[in-house]
Amino acid sequence: MTAFESMEASLREMEVSAKEQIEACNSPEALEEVRVEVLGRKGKLAQLSKNMGTLTHEQRGSVGKLLNQVKGVLETAFDAQNQRFATAVLQARLEREWVDLTLPSRGPRRGSLHPVTLIQTEIEDVFRSLGFTVLDGPEVETEYHNFDALNIPPHHPARDMQDTFWMTNGTLLRTHTSPVQVRGMKQLGPPLRMIAPGRVFRNEEVDASHEHTFYQLEGMMIDRDVSVAHLIYFMKTLLSEVFKRDVTVRLRPGYFPFVEPGFELDIQCLICGGSGCPVCKQSGWVELLPCGLVHPNVLRLSGINPEEWNGFAFGLGLTRLAMMRYGIDDIRHLLGGDLRFLRQF
Amino acid sequence: MKFSYNWLNALTDGPRQSPQELSNLITMKTAESEGVEPWGEAFPQVVVARVEHAELVPDSRIVKAEVDAGPLGRKTVVCGAPNCRAGLLTAFVPPGVTVDGKEIREATIRGVLSQGMLASGSELGINKDYEGILELSGVNPGDPVPGCEPDFIIEIDNKSLTHRPDLWGHYGMAREVAAITGSKLVDPVKIELVPEAPCPFEIEIADGKLAPRYSGLLVENVTVQASPLWLQNRLSSIGLNPINNLVDITNLVMAELGQPMHAFDADKLRGNTIYIRPATEGERCLALNDEEYVLTPANVVIADQGGPIALAGVIGGKESAIFEGTTRIFFESANFQASNIRRTSSALKLRTDASMRFEKAQDPENTVRALARALELLLEVCPDARVSGGLGDVYYPVPAPAPIHLPHAWLERKLGRAIPREEVKRILSSIGFGVAESADGLVVEVPSWRATKDISLKDDLVEEVGRMVGYASITPQPPHTPAVPPHENHEHGQHRQVRGALRALGFTEVYNYSFVTEKQVAAFGFPSAELVHIANPIAAELAFMRPSLLPGILQNCEDNLRHFDEFQFFEIGREIHAREGHGQLPVETNFLAVVHCTKADGDSHLYALKRVARNLFNGARLEPEAALAHEHPFRAARVDWQGETIGRFFEFHPAKLEARAAVLYVNLDQALRLQPGIARYTPLRRYPTSAFDLSVVVDRREYSGKVQDAIVRHAGDSLVDIEFLRVYEGAPLPEGRKSLSYRLVVGALDHTLSHDEVTSVRNQVIAGMEAEGSELRV
Ligand SMILES: [Zn+2]
Repeated sequence: MTAFESMEASLREMEVSAKEQIEACNSPEALEEVRVEVLGRKGKLAQLSKNMGTLTHEQRGSVGKLLNQVKGVLETAFDAQNQRFATAVLQARLEREWVDLTLPSRGPRRGSLHPVTLIQTEIEDVFRSLGFTVLDGPEVETEYHNFDALNIPPHHPARDMQDTFWMTNGTLLRTHTSPVQVRGMKQLGPPLRMIAPGRVFRNEEVDASHEHTFYQLEGMMIDRDVSVAHLIYFMKTLLSEVFKRDVTVRLRPGYFPFVEPGFELDIQCLICGGSGCPVCKQSGWVELLPCGLVHPNVLRLSGINPEEWNGFAFGLGLTRLAMMRYGIDDIRHLLGGDLRFLRQF
Repeated sequence: MKFSYNWLNALTDGPRQSPQELSNLITMKTAESEGVEPWGEAFPQVVVARVEHAELVPDSRIVKAEVDAGPLGRKTVVCGAPNCRAGLLTAFVPPGVTVDGKEIREATIRGVLSQGMLASGSELGINKDYEGILELSGVNPGDPVPGCEPDFIIEIDNKSLTHRPDLWGHYGMAREVAAITGSKLVDPVKIELVPEAPCPFEIEIADGKLAPRYSGLLVENVTVQASPLWLQNRLSSIGLNPINNLVDITNLVMAELGQPMHAFDADKLRGNTIYIRPATEGERCLALNDEEYVLTPANVVIADQGGPIALAGVIGGKESAIFEGTTRIFFESANFQASNIRRTSSALKLRTDASMRFEKAQDPENTVRALARALELLLEVCPDARVSGGLGDVYYPVPAPAPIHLPHAWLERKLGRAIPREEVKRILSSIGFGVAESADGLVVEVPSWRATKDISLKDDLVEEVGRMVGYASITPQPPHTPAVPPHENHEHGQHRQVRGALRALGFTEVYNYSFVTEKQVAAFGFPSAELVHIANPIAAELAFMRPSLLPGILQNCEDNLRHFDEFQFFEIGREIHAREGHGQLPVETNFLAVVHCTKADGDSHLYALKRVARNLFNGARLEPEAALAHEHPFRAARVDWQGETIGRFFEFHPAKLEARAAVLYVNLDQALRLQPGIARYTPLRRYPTSAFDLSVVVDRREYSGKVQDAIVRHAGDSLVDIEFLRVYEGAPLPEGRKSLSYRLVVGALDHTLSHDEVTSVRNQVIAGMEAEGSELRV
C-alpha cells in the first residue's frame, strides 16, 4: 500500500467511525467532546493532514480535496445532531408550559355603559357626520324657554300635554329638550344644525311604561327653504342608521305648538314588518317621534326672520328607543341603578 | 273623544268605509285614532218580550216569569227586578248572548230552569239604570229593542285635538270625513226653527272680550222624563251618562256640534235679566256637583238678580237646575274667552266637558245653530213644548281674520313637492276654506270654526294641504347646503372619553334620579340655601333637586350589596345648586362619581381606585385633608390636578355604609377647563442614566407623598425619575416607625454622569433630608 493509499483509507475509516460517534452522543456536552476530538485543532483530522508532507504535489492535491470533503460531511453531521438536541430541549420546555386557558381570568370584569348612553352616542355620531352640532341646556329651565318661546303661551291647552314639575322660585324642570332649540338659535343663529340630547321630567305616575324622568334628543335644522321632503330624508337616514336596516316611515298630522305643520312620525313595525303584531297593537306601525317645520313664531321669538329662514325640528325619545333596541320591558330599570341590569350592555 | 261611526255616517252622504278603514284615514289625515271598539254587539240578538205571567219563587224575592218572546217562543225566566210584572214589555236576552261582559246561559235557579234573561238598561249598556228591567211601549214581542243599533266607537286621542275646537263634536269630524272620502257633509241644523221675536229675558254682557256671545231661548210646557232609548244609547255609546231628556239634549247637541249648552229652570230665575259678568270677590256659587265655589273677579259667572246661577263655561248652578217638576226652561248657548275658562277651570280644579271645549276656543258663530238643533230635539221628545218669544242674542263679534295670501311656489317649496294649483283649491274648499286666485297663488279665507286660534298663517295652510294630499306622496330629499363641520362640544367629548376609559377599566355606568329626599339632605348636611325646592314633587319626600350625586351612589352601593360582594360603577350627572331670586336658574355642574365597593376588609380597593383616578386625570394628586361628615375620617383626601382642587377621594364613613366603598368624586366641568393642551415631544436622552436606592424612616402616619416631594426637591435637576419601591414596618425599626424606599434615576442631557457626580447627588439628597430631620437607612 502506498502512503497515498493508506492515507486515503485512514480518512475514509475516520469518517465512518466519527459518524458513528456523533450518532452515539446523547448530550450536547458529549457531542462537543467528539467534535474537539475529531475536528479540533489537535484532533484526528488535523493529525492526518500533518502527514501530507510525505506526498507528492499531485497526491497532496487529491488528498486535500478528500480531507475537505470529509470535514464538510462531519460538520454537517455535527450541526444536525446539535439541531436535534435543541429541538428536544425546546419541545421539553413547551410541554412543561401547558396551561389551562379555560380558567377564568382575574381582575375587574368587563365594564359597561348605560343603554341610553350607547344609543345617544350612536345618534350623536350619525348627526355629527351630517353636520349637526351637539348642544346642552339646563335641566332646570325658565318658563319662557320651556313654553313661551316655543309658542306655548300661558294658559295654552298644550301645557296640559306635559305635566310640569315647578320649582318654588317659579322655574321648572324642562318637560322636553325643545328649550335647547331656543338657546341654540340665540347662541348660534342661522343657518343652524343642532341636536340636544338630555334628561327631561314629567310629573307622571311611574309604572312599567311611564317614568317621571327620561331622555330625549331634540334636533333642529334652520336654513333657507327647508321642506317636508328634507325632514323626511333626515329622519329616514337617522332611523336606518339606528336600526341598522332600511326602515319605512310615514308622517301623519300631529299637533305641537312649536311646529307648523306638525307630524307624528311612525316607523313600520320592525317586529312584524307591518303585518301586525302585539308590539304594534296589530297596526303595523309604531309611533316614534314628533316633528315638523319650525313655527314662524318660534323663529321670530328667537330673533330669526321667518321670511328668510325656516327649518325643521324633531324630538326623539332616547329612552323609548333604547327600550325598543334592547327589548327592555320595564322603564324603571333604566334609573334603578341595579348592576344586574346595567352589566348587560 | 269618542266618535260614533253611525253618527258620522248620518252626517255624511257618499261612499262608506269600514270602521277600521275610517279610523285609519282619520289617523293619517286628521287626528290620531286610538282604535275602534264595537258597541252593542248583542243588540241584534236582544228582542222585545211580554211578561205573560209572573209569580214569586217561594221564600225569595225573585220572580218566575213566563214571557212571550215572539218568534223565539214562550220562555221561562227567573228575574230579580222589582218591576217584573205581568203585561210588561221588556228586553229578552236569549242564552248564548253576551251582555255586560257575561254570557247568558240556561241555568236552574231555585229549582226553576231559567231560559234567558230580562235585561235592565244598564245590563244592555244604554244607561246607568240597574234598578229594574226596561219598560217598553209601542212594540211587539219579537221586535228588536227600539233605538238600540249596534255601532262602532272610534276613539280619538284628545291631545291631537288640542288645536281643533271644531273636532270636539261629530259634525266637525264629519266635515273631515267628507273631505277625506269625497262624500257630502249633511248639516243637521234647521236654523229656521228659531223664531224671530223678542226674548222674554234680557241679556247683559259686562265684557265682550270675556264673553263674545250669549244666546238663549225660553221654552215652555216641557216635561222632564227619561229620554227615548235611541238618545240614551247614543250618549252612552260615546261615554256620556243619560240623565233626563232636557240634560240629554244639551249633551247630545254638544257632542254633535261641539257647542256646550245649559238648561236653566226658568221659574227659578229671579228677575228678567241674565247677566254675564266677572264674579265679585268672595262671591259663592253652589254648583251642580254639590260643591260650593268661592270666586274672584277673575272668574266669569252667569247671574240673575239674586246672584250667580252658573260658572260661565264650566258648570251650571244647583239652585237654578232643572228637576222632575220643571216646566219652563231657558236654554243657554254661549261663547266664552278660552284662556279665561282655562284659568277658572284650573284654579277651581274642575274640568268639565264644557270647559274642555271652551278652552280650545269655540266658534261664536255656532251658538244659535246649537239652539236650533236643541229645539228640534226638544220638540221630538216633548211635542207640546213651545218657544216663548224668540231668540235672545248678544254678540260682540271678533273681527274676522284677514284672508291669507298663499303663494303657490312657496307652498311647493315648503312641502318639497309639486302640486297642481287646482288640487290645492279643491282640498281647501273641501274643508270649508274660501279660495280665490291671486297672481302668484291663492287668497284663502278661513272659516269661522277654524279662525278662533287654529289658523292664521300661511304656514298653517301648508299643513291643511299637506295632510290631505298625504305626506306619503313626498319624496325624501337631501338638502342642497354646503357642508360645514359642526361646532365641537368639548363637554360631550370629555364625557365620552371618561366613559370609555371607565368601561375599559371594568366600571358599570349608572343613571340616578335627579331628586333627593329630605332624609338624604339631612344625612349629608347639604346647606338648605343651595337646595332647589320642587313645589309639586312626585312624592312629598322627594322635594329637592340633587345638590350632589353622592346620595344616589350611596343608595346604589346599598342596593347592589344585596347581590354582589364586590363591584365597580360610576355616574356622570349634574349637581344642581340654587341661586337666590325668583325665576333664577340654578347652577348646574357636571360631576363624576366613581365607586369601588367591596365587602372585603383592607385598603386595596382604595389603591385600585387611586389607579383609576390617575388614569383619568394624569398626574392627579391626593392630598389628605379633614374628612367631611360622610367620609371616613382617616381615608379622605382632596384631588388636586393641574394646580386646582377638582374633587374628593374617600371611603364612605362606616356609619353610612357597612361595606367599604372607595369613591372618587370630581367636578368634570372644572376638569374640562383644566384639560392640558396638546403635549410637546421631549427629545430622547442620548446618554445613559444611573440609579440608586434610598430608604427614609419616618413616623407611621407620615405621608409618603410628602417624603417623596422632599426627595425630589433635594435631588434637583439631575433627577430623571423616582420610583416608590416599598414600605416596611417591623424589626429592627422601633414601634410606630416605617421605612419608605425609593429608587432614584439620575442623568444629564449632555453627558453620562460620572460615578462622583452620582454620589454627589445622592449625598445632596441625604444631607437635605437629614437637615429636615429625617432618618435615612443608607
Ligand atoms: Zn308589529
